Order: sequence, then structure tokens, then C-alpha cells
Amino acid sequence: MIIQGLAFYMFAAITVAAGVMVISARNPVHSVLFLILAFFNSAGLFVLMGAEFLAMILVVVYVGAVAVLFMFVVMMLDISLAEMRAGFLQYLPLGAMIGFVLVMELGIIGGSWVIADNVDKNFVAPIVAMKTTNTEALGNMLYTHYVYYFQAAGMILLVAMIGAIVLTHRKRPDARKQNIGDQVSRHPSDTLEIKKVSSGSGV
Amino acid sequence: MYIAAVFLPLIGSLIAGMIAFVAQGAVRAEDTERKKRLDLASQLITCGAMLLASVAAILVFIAVVVNGQNGTVELFTWVDSGSLEFSWELRGDTLAVLMVTMVTVVSSMIHIYSIGYMSHDGSIPRFMGYMGLFSFFMLMLVSANNLVQLFFGWEGVGLCSYLLIGFWYDRPSANAAAIKAFVVNRIGDFGFALGIFACFFLFDSVSYDTIFSEAAAKSTATMNVFSGEFHALTIICLLLFLGAMGKSAQLGLHVWLPDAMEGPTPVSALIHAATMVTAGVFMVARMSPLFEYSDVALTVVTLIGASTAIFAATVGCVQNDIKRVIAYSTVSQLGYMFFALGVSAYSAGMFHLITHAFFKALLFLGAGSVIHAMSDEQDMRKMGGLYKLIPATYVLMWIGSLALAGIWPFSGFFSKDIILEAAWGAHTGIGQYAFWLGITAAFLTAFYSWRLIIMTFHGESRADEKTLAHVHESPKVMILPLVVLALGALFVGILSVDYFVGEHTVEFWKNSIFVLDTHKALENAHHVPIWVKFLPLVVGIGGIALAYLMYMFAPELPKALASGFQRTYQFLLNKWYFDELYDKIFVKPAFYLGRGFWKAGDGLLIDGVGPDGVAAAVQHLARRAAAMQSGYLYHYAFAMLLGVAFLVTWFLVAGA
Amino acid sequence: MPLATLPTLTPALPEIFLAIASMLLLMLGVFSSEENNTRTVSYASVLVLIVAIPFVGLVTEGRTVTFGGAFVTDTFAVYIKALVLVSAATAIIMSKDYLKIQGIERFEFPVLIVLATLGMMMMISANDLIALYLGLELQSLSLYVIASFQRDSARSAEAGLKYFVLGALASGLLLYGMSMIYGFAGTTSFDTLANIFHDAHGHVSVGVIVGIVFMLAGLAFKVSAVPFHMWTPDVYEGAPTPVTALFAVAPKIAAMGLFIRVMVGPFGELGAQWQQIIIFISVASMLLGAFAAINQTNIKRLMAYSSIGHMGYALIGLAVAGTAGDAALQALGVQSMLIYLGIYMFMNIGTFACILLMKRDGRMVEGIDDLAGLSKSNPGLAMILSIFMFSMAGIPPLAGFLGKLYVFQAAIQAELYALAVIGVLASVVGAYYYIRIIKVMYFDDPVDELDRGISLEMKAILVVTGVVIVFFVFYPVPLLTGAESATAALFHK
Repeated sequence: MIIQGLAFYMFAAITVAAGVMVISARNPVHSVLFLILAFFNSAGLFVLMGAEFLAMILVVVYVGAVAVLFMFVVMMLDISLAEMRAGFLQYLPLGAMIGFVLVMELGIIGGSWVIADNVDKNFVAPIVAMKTTNTEALGNMLYTHYVYYFQAAGMILLVAMIGAIVLTHRKRPDARKQNIGDQVSRHPSDTLEIKKVSSGSGV
Repeated sequence: MYIAAVFLPLIGSLIAGMIAFVAQGAVRAEDTERKKRLDLASQLITCGAMLLASVAAILVFIAVVVNGQNGTVELFTWVDSGSLEFSWELRGDTLAVLMVTMVTVVSSMIHIYSIGYMSHDGSIPRFMGYMGLFSFFMLMLVSANNLVQLFFGWEGVGLCSYLLIGFWYDRPSANAAAIKAFVVNRIGDFGFALGIFACFFLFDSVSYDTIFSEAAAKSTATMNVFSGEFHALTIICLLLFLGAMGKSAQLGLHVWLPDAMEGPTPVSALIHAATMVTAGVFMVARMSPLFEYSDVALTVVTLIGASTAIFAATVGCVQNDIKRVIAYSTVSQLGYMFFALGVSAYSAGMFHLITHAFFKALLFLGAGSVIHAMSDEQDMRKMGGLYKLIPATYVLMWIGSLALAGIWPFSGFFSKDIILEAAWGAHTGIGQYAFWLGITAAFLTAFYSWRLIIMTFHGESRADEKTLAHVHESPKVMILPLVVLALGALFVGILSVDYFVGEHTVEFWKNSIFVLDTHKALENAHHVPIWVKFLPLVVGIGGIALAYLMYMFAPELPKALASGFQRTYQFLLNKWYFDELYDKIFVKPAFYLGRGFWKAGDGLLIDGVGPDGVAAAVQHLARRAAAMQSGYLYHYAFAMLLGVAFLVTWFLVAGA
Repeated sequence: MPLATLPTLTPALPEIFLAIASMLLLMLGVFSSEENNTRTVSYASVLVLIVAIPFVGLVTEGRTVTFGGAFVTDTFAVYIKALVLVSAATAIIMSKDYLKIQGIERFEFPVLIVLATLGMMMMISANDLIALYLGLELQSLSLYVIASFQRDSARSAEAGLKYFVLGALASGLLLYGMSMIYGFAGTTSFDTLANIFHDAHGHVSVGVIVGIVFMLAGLAFKVSAVPFHMWTPDVYEGAPTPVTALFAVAPKIAAMGLFIRVMVGPFGELGAQWQQIIIFISVASMLLGAFAAINQTNIKRLMAYSSIGHMGYALIGLAVAGTAGDAALQALGVQSMLIYLGIYMFMNIGTFACILLMKRDGRMVEGIDDLAGLSKSNPGLAMILSIFMFSMAGIPPLAGFLGKLYVFQAAIQAELYALAVIGVLASVVGAYYYIRIIKVMYFDDPVDELDRGISLEMKAILVVTGVVIVFFVFYPVPLLTGAESATAALFHK
């Protein structure tokens, strides 16, 4: 238990610290790298909770795909954070005050947290002694109890896809495309003219 | 069928309105050809709709009154809110259907007449639209099955009356008359609305059926008014009667009606003689189940009615404007109807209402025909000797006047007779009061009617050459409706007297009118002394004779009388100084008060601090509020976080 | 863990229909000829939305739950969904000319509206925090895209981006609140939450309340209630006008429906806690909507403030519904709000139809000054716009007046006198800018004439909405009974 506890605090502390660094690093590339660090540590937290599938997904999808994509974008856009921070100090006092108040309040709330009686009977899928693997359990939930959410998420992704295409795809009339149908149905006589060239007269 | 009768005029009116405000707006001024066609279209549509409506109404009348069906039609629920629940409904009992028939028939005659009368006017579609709209509202009023729908029609006819009196809005006098009519009616309507509220307060319903069936149970209920306990039904009836006084121009609130003659003559005939002004009479008859339980209210109705009858008759004797004479005669006849109601002879009042609608419309339209012939001259002192020039109008005016004066066998004879007999038959002090004033008024009625005829049609012509050269009989389209109305004035009385007040009265009215068994005026009316029966006829003939004497055979006599009794003459000529009195008591002080409020209260105090100050503050706030919208994304996000932080803090502080 | 059986699909039939139809519409767009595929897909989308209405109407009474309690259908959902479907369909119809004029005719536009509508319907039928969130995101994401649909215009792109970023922030707040609720109750199901709070008799820890506050903030963003309204004017102004027309009506009504569902459902017992917040945002919205609109010169921006104000009035109804312990009063509040929303829909559709007709020389204009002299050049349009403006200002006997009357009456019944008084005062101030438009149309010197010529569809929309607004007072029963039975579904389970 002690090792588990130590591991939890390590992962948690690094996650929070990395999160702070994401927003405070001067170089945007560093920010993304810290983000990746935060993802890794979150994955560690998932492992501690016994959710190894989610941990792997987090690493594969977020670190492997999303964060790397971020990296590309950041590098290509050439953002100057110094410029974006120009007004930072101007709003710092008020922002810090509000932030401080909110944090204090959340502290108070956390301190006086109460959980409803018999809360465990409210769970949709309580954690029972695991006989199945994580993946199988998730699959079972996702395609049965949560089929509605699953489909809804699918619709959201569809919209995201349409949106991305609508907002960025441009028709380029000058772009050349292959049209196999045209190619196949082309007849030599359309384009080819055979002329008899009498010798010596040139074309 | 019933729906058609009520809504056809609305449809016609809407189409005419569209023509007036949309189609003709698009026509260029010089395109008279097109304008003419649109005028004709509006006339044909509104008249056609009215005629169809009157046919439908007659069919409904046959179904309900003759065949005894219940014609009530529920259109749809209007309000359903808590205990306040009522529908748009058309009530199908004798009283309602009778009125619907009368209104549609008279209105369609007047519509047709208007084609001729208004032919030179520039805005015919607007006129026809207003007339149709008025007919619709009037039909709504009479066919209502609850007080709110009644009020809807009541206010609607008021509105149309305002629009039509001020139809020639470029005349200042027409505008003033329209406003006067509206304001005076407002006083009555205020009482009427309070009456409806009181009704709802007492019965918890505004629907007739509920109110009538519970009236008996509530006959001893009291109501707290200004911290005093009063008999509830008396309060309600008096408030409702206040509304009726306004609409039907009874003594005190009569001042608007003579001025309303500024409107075109068909308007005077339709609204200010045959239909709208009788709405008060109809309403009291409709509310008979309430009035029956309040002797005080009935006494007040009788008193006001009888006083109005005599007052208006005296004033009518000295007026010189041909339409005003008829207008005062209308006020006087309405007085008759009211005191008939007051002695519980509702059916007699309604009988007179119906006959009066025919002969008064006839008289007005006849007067209109005269005015039309005289190139819009209304002063009788500038007429005379017209009977050879416009004989048809002359004959028709005679018929109307004979009916008005109550000469056998014209319609007016039967209805006026039964009213006076009922007043006698009431066997009460107030009944006697009404009877004797009524007899006097009958004498005066006959007198001023023949004064009108003689001054207009007989003697030397006092018109100038130019006008005389133009005098011509009205076109057929004007004379024909007059003939129809004249037939009504001739035969409605003699044919229907048995049904209205005679032996078939019970099966005719069925349950639509309620009379307590103790109120036997109408029954007693059939058993009065013989001299009471003949007195009205005798004084009528007497009045005619006096008129002939004074204006035909001794034309210098009126002048001598006028100068001899200068004070009396002036008193009558100035309509008992009612207008002057009101001016002194209400109008002038109101002006002073208004000026005071305006200059001191409004100008200095309220404008200084209020609107100007508030407006400046609002402008300031508006600029500030708009300035918050900086356009920067992070400002917006920050505002949201600020909002959350504020709300959370609020809860932590308030919750702690 | 037992495998679940296949859930009953019938309650979600309209949603399933829309989901499948939207994909078919996409295919239709891709496979039909390029010249007029926008037209084809537009008409097909309108047809789909209209056909969905009878599907929705299958529920006449009672309450059905499916998908393991995540999805609920009842008359309340039917009422709101019907309004949403109608307004989405009219938005597509109204967009036709506009897209052509602006040169942005692309068939994805109607499809995205259909998808947004699907999201709205899922929100309305949500019976679980996750379902709520998914519906909300589906709706929002589609709307972000169509807000920047005119991607070559900087204003449109900016509008979409602002909406997106702030919407993400609002979603964050919402999720944060949900996690707090979940942390307390261990469930996301509305029914279970309702039971827990019922057993708690309104005494819950401060964490739950703060969670509700966060959720409220997220939802208030969607109905653009002050202080979460900041995106509204910029997005309304920047987005293409038919999109604004959609934004002003369908998502607002759907979000209000969701608002009611969440507040009255799981948190109904905690009314004493959240009523104060609702009163606050209602008052703030009414006042801001009234004051900030006064100096606007762009009619779309003006309509943004107008809708902020209208949401404030509608929230009065929700504040009344927060009177814990008095079911009759709560029902009155919700009912008045539903009536208000119904009337709001007609007024806004009509007004935006008028705005979409403001063209000069074939180009869209949106300044209030451009309306000057409209009474002369196009009296019919001027008249009908005046009717809508009078109705918005709450002039009797038009429908807008009655809507306000119902909510104010409810406030009076709940003894929230201050709320009613502020509401009346705000509508007095608001009347200024509505009536100013009428003044500009009728009394200002005409500028260059606006183009004449109104397409048949637009005429139909104008006439229908105009007739509803004018004649509502004579025949209010359908809306009243609809709202009544919708309310009944929430309070008699």
C-alpha cells in the first residue's frame, strides 16, 4: 500500500506541476512537451486505479497522436508567446485575485465534502471482483448499457469531420485530377489525327 | 348558417379594407378608371356579403323562432384560465336571433343606399369597410353568449362609430364630434366594465347561462362597495345601466348623439338610429334576469328613460337642422324603450326597438335623400316647397313620420301604444310619471315630425336659385332601400304585435326574456281604461294638427311665440344648456387641472427629474452596457469566470 | 456482469430517424449534380425535419425511458421538440436565397442544421448527465461550424471561433459541475439524483450546490443569459443571417427545455438553493437586454440583445419553478415559460424573415438606418415588421404581450414581486428600441429603396407568423393546452 501511495503522490504531483508548466513555459514547444508529460503521468494514475486499458489508450491516442499533432501545429504556426503575453501583466492582479478566491473556495468545498449515503448502490456498473479483462469489461459496457452514448459520440465525430471539411476544404479548379472513366472512354479519333505525310514535303 | 350571418360582414369588410388601404394605395392618383373599378368592387362585395348575411339571418330566425331549435353555436374556447372560462359563442335564442335579423336586414338596406349616397366621395372602399366592420361588431354584440364577448362587440361598435363620425376627417367639427362621442361613451363603458367585473366577482363566471341561472340564488347577496354593504344585483345593474346610458344616449350622457350627425347620413341611419344606440336597450333586456331582482335599478331605468323621452322631444321642437331633429327624436324614442324596460315590459321595449329601427332608418335615409337633393344643405330654414320636386322622398318621409308619431296602422302605433299602456299598467308612482311624460312626449313627437315635413316640403322655397336648379329625385339605388324600409315601417307592427306583446308572446320569446311573476305591467297593459288606450293616438293627431296650424296656416305664429317666450325658446334651442353645463363643470376645470399638471407637474417636476433625467440615465447606461462588449475573446472568457466566481462566492457567503 | 438486452428503440424513434436521415442527406449531397445539390439537400432536409414532427408526436401522454434510463420521452419533450423542429425547418427555408447571394451555397449547411437539431432533441430528451453533455456537444459543434460557414468573411470566421472557444469554456464549467455532482451522488442518472435529493429534503453539502452553480453557468451560456452572454452580440452579428435566425430560436428553446428539465427534474427539491441564481441571471439579462440594445445600429446585433432580454423574461418562469414544495406554483412557472418560448419562436422567426428580406441592389444590408422609409417603398413588409416589433415590445393585444403577461403573473403568484416589477420596467426600456425601428421605417426620410420582391416561401413564413402573433389573443388554446400537458409530464411522474 505504501508503494502505491507513494506512486500516486508522485504521479499526481508531476501531473499538476506539468500542467502549471504548460501554461507558464515561454517556448510553446516546451508547453507541448510538458503536456505530453502530464499525459504520461495521468496514464500512470489510471494504471494505479487498475484501468490499464484507459492508460494505454491515453498514451497511444493522446501522446501518440494528439500531442504530436499539436507539436506540428505549434512548430508550423510560429507563434510568438511573448506577443500574446503582452497584456498578461495588465490583467494579472485582477485575474490572480479571482483565481485566488476561486481556489480558496474550492478548498473550502473540498474540505467539507460529503458523499451521499449508500452511494455504492447508485453505481451503474460497480466494480466487482474482476474476472474479465479491462478491455472486455469496457467493451461489454460500451456496446450494451452505453450504446446510446457510444452512438451519440459517433454522431459528434461525424459532425467534427463534416466541420473540418466544410471549413478547410477548397475546390481547386486548376488542380488536375485523374478521371478513369474519361480515360477509358476516350477514343483515339477524338484526339488523334492521322495524316498521310508525303515524303519530302514536311508536316 | 348563424356563423355565416355573423362573419360574412367581417369578410366583406376585410376585403373592402384591403382595397382601401392596400390596393388603392398602389393606384396612381390620375388613374381614375382603376379607382372607379376598385370602388365598385368594394361596394359590390360589402353589399353582397350583407345581403347574404341577412338571408342567412332570416333562415336562422326561422329555424330558431318558428321551428324552435336551439341555435347556439360554439366557435372555440377563448379563455380558460382558472375559474375564468368562456368561449367565442353565438347565442341562439329569440332575443339574439331577432336582433341579428334586424341588424343584418337594416344594415344591408343602408349598405345599398350608401352606394348612391356616397357616390361622389373619394374614399368609398374605406367607408364600405368601416360599415361592414361595424355590422360585424354589432352582430358580435347581439349574438354574444357571455359578457366579455358582449364587451368585445360593445367596444367594437364604439370604435366604428368613432371612425364613421369622423369619416370626413378633414372637417374639424367632424373630428370634434367623433372625439366627443368616444369620450362620452368611455364614461358609460367604464361603468359597464365595472359591471362586468362585479358580475364575475359575484357569480364567478361571465357566461350568460351561469349568471342567469344563479341570479335567483344571489338575489339577496350583498357586495362591499367603498366599505358599505349594498345589494349586489343593484350595484351590478346600475353599473351596467351606466354603460347602456352612454351607448344609448340617455339623459346625462346624451350629448354626443346630436353632434354625431356630423357623420355621413347612412352612418346616422345605421349606427345612430337603428342599431348601435339601441345596444343599451338590448343589453338591459338581455340582462333582464338580473334587473328583475333589483327594484331600485328598474326605477332608475324608468326615471331616466321617461325624463330622456320628454327632454329630447322638447329640444327636437326647436331645432333647425333636419338631421338634428331626427337625432333628438331618436334620443326621445330610446327614452321610451328604456322606461318600457324599467316597468318590466322588456318585450314592449324590444318591440319598439325593432319598429323604430325601420321607421327611424327610413326617416334618416329620407332626410339624407333630401340633403342629397339640396346639394348637402341641412338647414330646414333654407328648404321648403320640395314636395313637387322630390315626390317619392316626400311620400316616404310621410310614412316614416306617421310611424314615428304613432298613427294607426303604422308600426310605431303598436309599439308606442303598448309601452304607454304598460307604463300605466305598472300601477306604480314611477309608472305614472313615465306614462304622463310619455304622453306629452308623444304629442311633441307628432308636432316636431310635421314641423319637419312642412318646413322641408311645403310653403315657399327658401333655397337659392343655384341649389334649386340642382334639386333632383335620388337615384333608384337610394329609393329602393327606402321602399323596403317603408314596408317595414308599414307592416312590421301590425303583423308582429301578437308575437311580441300579444297572445303568442310566450312561445315567441321562449326563455330569452325573464320577468318576475310580481311584475305584471305587460299583463295589465291589456286591461287599461279605454281612454288610456286612445290617448296616444289622440295626442299624436293633436300634435300633427298643431304643426299644421303653426307652420302651414299661421307661419308668423312660431316667431311670435319664440319672441314672446324668449327664455323658454333659448332654453330649448340650447338643448337645456347641457353642453354649456358640462363645459363649466367638467371640461373647463379639466382643462385648468390639465394645464396645471402639464406646466407645473409634468413640465417642471416630472420632465425635469423624470423622462429627461431618466432618459439621460438610460442613455448613459446603454453606452456603458455596450462598451462592455469589447470584442476581445479573453474579456468575454474573463467575464464568464467572474460570473461563476461571483455566484460561488455568493453561495458560500449566503450558505454559511 | 450480465449482458444487457436490446433497449427499446421506439421512444428514440425521431432521433434515430434524424440520425439516419442526416447521413442519407450527406450522400444525397455528394452524389447529386453539383449545380443544384444545395437546393435538393435543402428541400430534403426541410422534408426530413417536417416528417420528424409526427414521429415526435407519437407520444401523447405518459413518460417512457429507454437506453438504461439515459433517454426519456414525455409530452414535455414533445412540446419543445416540436418548436425546435419547426424553427430549424424555417431556418433552412429562409437560408436559401441568402446562401446564393453570398456565394456560399454548399449542401453541408442544411445537413449541419439537421445534425444540430438532432443534438437539440437529444438534449431535450436527456435523462442523464452524460446524455445531456453529448447532446449539448453535438448541437454546439454543429453550430460552431455553421457560425463560421462563410469562411472567407473575417467576421463569420471570428464569430465561429469566439463561439467555439467560449463554448468550450462553458462546456468545461458544465463538466466540472457534473463531476462535483457525481462525486457526491455516485450517479449521473437524473432519476437517481432526484431520489437522493428528495431523501435529503433539500439539505445537501455545499459542494453539491457549487456543482449546481457550475452547471448553471454552463447552461446559462447556452441560453446566453447574463453574465454568460458575451458571445451573443458578436456571434449574431458575424454569423450569416440565416444562421443567426437559427441561433436566436432553436438552440435557445432547446437549451431552455434542457434548463427546465435539469432544474426541475434532479434538482427540483433544491429549488431554494438555485432559485436565487436564476432570479439574479434573469434580472441581469432583462436589464442588459434592455439597456445595451439602445445604441445599436446593426439590426442583428440588436436582435442579439433582444434575445438576451427575452431569455431573461423566460427565466422568470424558471425562477417561479424554483419555489420548492409547491408543485402547483412550480407547474405554473414552467407553463408560463413554455408559452413564452412558443410565442418567442414565432416572433423571432418572423422578425428574422424580415431581416433576411433587407437587400439593396442584390446585396444584403443589416443597418437599422437601411430600413428608413420602408413604409413607402414596401408598406406590407413595414407593417408586418411593425407588428413583430410591437409584439416584442409587449404591446397588447399582440402575442408578445400575452407571453410577458403569463410570466409576470406567475411571478406575482410566487410573490416574486421585485422580479415582476423589474421585468415590467425592463420591457418599458426595451420598448424604446423596438419602437425606434418602427419610427425609422415610418417617419425617417427614405434612403435608397430596398429591393422588392418576396419569394413565396418567405411570404408564407411572414403571413403565418404574423397571423399567429396578431390572432393569438383570440385563439390561444392550442399553445396553452400544449404547454399545460407538457408541464404535467414534469410534475406528475
